[in-house]
Amino acid sequence: MKVDIQSLGTFNRLAHEGAEQATQSMCQMTGLDAVVDVTKISLVDRADVGEQLTGGEYVGVRFDFAGELAGETVLVFDKDGSETIANALVPGGAADEAMARSSVEEVGNIMMSGFIDGWADFLEATIDHSPPQYVEGGGRDILPEVPGGDEATVEGPEAFEGTGGRRNGEDRPADGSLDQVFVFKSEIEWVGESVSFYIYMLPEYGPLSEVMESQADAADDAIPVDKLGVFNEMTYDGTQRAADNVEMMTGIETEAEVTQLSFAPIEDVPKQVGTDTYVGTVVEFTGVPSGYLMVLFDEASAVHIAEAMMPIELDSDELTEQHKQAIEELGNIMTSGFVDGWANVLQTSVDHTPPRLVHDMGRAIVDPLAAQVGQHQEHAFIIDSEMRTEDIAFGAEIQVLPNERELREALDELHVERADQTEANVEQIFE
Amino acid sequence: MKVYDGSTTETASATGTEPERVKVGIAEYQVASANAILTTSGLGSCLGVGIYDTTAGVAGLVHAMLPSQAEMDETGNDAKFADSGIRRLVADLEREGADRTRLQAKIAGGSDMLDFSESGPGIGARNAEVGRRTLSEFDIPVVAEDVGGERGRSIRLEANTGDLVVKSANRDERRL
Repeated sequence: MKVDIQSLGTFNRLAHEGAEQATQSMCQMTGLDAVVDVTKISLVDRADVGEQLTGGEYVGVRFDFAGELAGETVLVFDKDGSETIANALVPGGAADEAMARSSVEEVGNIMMSGFIDGWADFLEATIDHSPPQYVEGGGRDILPEVPGGDEATVEGPEAFEGTGGRRNGEDRPADGSLDQVFVFKSEIEWVGESVSFYIYMLPEYGPLSEVMESQADAADDAIPVDKLGVFNEMTYDGTQRAADNVEMMTGIETEAEVTQLSFAPIEDVPKQVGTDTYVGTVVEFTGVPSGYLMVLFDEASAVHIAEAMMPIELDSDELTEQHKQAIEELGNIMTSGFVDGWANVLQTSVDHTPPRLVHDMGRAIVDPLAAQVGQHQEHAFIIDSEMRTEDIAFGAEIQVLPNERELREALDELHVERADQTEANVEQIFE
Repeated sequence: MKVYDGSTTETASATGTEPERVKVGIAEYQVASANAILTTSGLGSCLGVGIYDTTAGVAGLVHAMLPSQAEMDETGNDAKFADSGIRRLVADLEREGADRTRLQAKIAGGSDMLDFSESGPGIGARNAEVGRRTLSEFDIPVVAEDVGGERGRSIRLEANTGDLVVKSANRDERRL
């Protein structure tokens, strides 16, 4: 299967419009005001689907759909969101559990019918969906099992040894193929509230790839999807190297956690990070690929990790100049680790500028970089990985914003003897 | 439901004292009536342009990402660019009853942070420059501004007074 940039753009717009329609139906029904914040298409490790939901309690409505496209789609509300909906439909409705539940079902049904009808209209095809099923659960359990078997999985080169062995073997299929799936996700925000809800669409791979191929017109643009998958793995490898560097420097055991490659309109790129204040470093890298790389810590994490690097205890909980220096140093070695990981796989050299320390609103940090990339392209790939540690409260995000043209070149360089070849090993692919 | 997608002719219906908050996303613009507060956050090199006619009681805010639509080979979303975004916003303000001769503008954003370009002015500076130039096409005076520098900004435009409040990380609010 190949995907081209054009059809990814179209699919993104479609998912976004579907989410808009669904949200408007909800607003009309409840009188609440909500807007679709972000829609993105991600290629993500099966086990990491729904990672963002970790730690919360959710209710939602789930549908199976079949036809031109097949899979499952879920509307996910957090508890507050569902209570707001129930109270909007029937004042005091949230207090009555059965009523709260039927409110969520009712709203979910209306929303998701609109969402799926939008897809069917666009594809000029029929997509049937099952009756809504009410679901509740903690974290990602609210989402269905991503369809298993070959039908769902992105075909990839087998035995990609660079990273495959390191992922604790937990989520790696026995045959060693990449176990990554496409996820369409929209995030919807209540106006004036800090409550969000989500629409996840988890398409089966087989029908999706057929639809994507039929939508692709410019074959020149097309990127074989297995290469995107390998790129994701490469990023995981880079993140693990960055994590190893953190560990070396701080003595804190650190693991790469989630890696995903997403695709979104350029104006949605800054929304990848929150409006909170972040501390970190940014570099521009040149070569193939080229672009920008950010290492970002939330302020609390920055203080924790910086203190772990310092020989003496600081009394202050605030972020001081000393903390910032430590973060700069850390950002530097994390960037090097990450970029080395890439360069190693691509067998090229990737140069980067010295890191610039940033300490600002997350979105304001990303916005100038998105604007620079946006001078040449309307959509962007965003490479996004996170690392976590058990020992202390600390999380870091690495965000990479590559220029599309050079990214495509880099993917072209990933030499696969035949594009449809699925049995290759790492030496053959990257020779 | 109120739709502030810029194409509809909404007016704030709330009659209470609680002002209506209207959120403007990246590459979006909104027009609202005097009871509203228009907000946008995370301006880095992006430019926020608030334009208002307090006599008519209408105000609008655009959050533009790039300087000029004319320079780009795309026509999709006017609000993504400073030039086309401002033109679109002025047209909508007039449709909502604003008088061009009374319109005033305040701009914020266009910072130089993280500008890696080594030659010529960066995107932030160009956003501000194209913004001012486009406003002058309409003879709309820029009565106050907080642009450039190396900080991100979040802003809110109070429609009834035309006050633009600028917030940055680690800096006190400024009221323009």
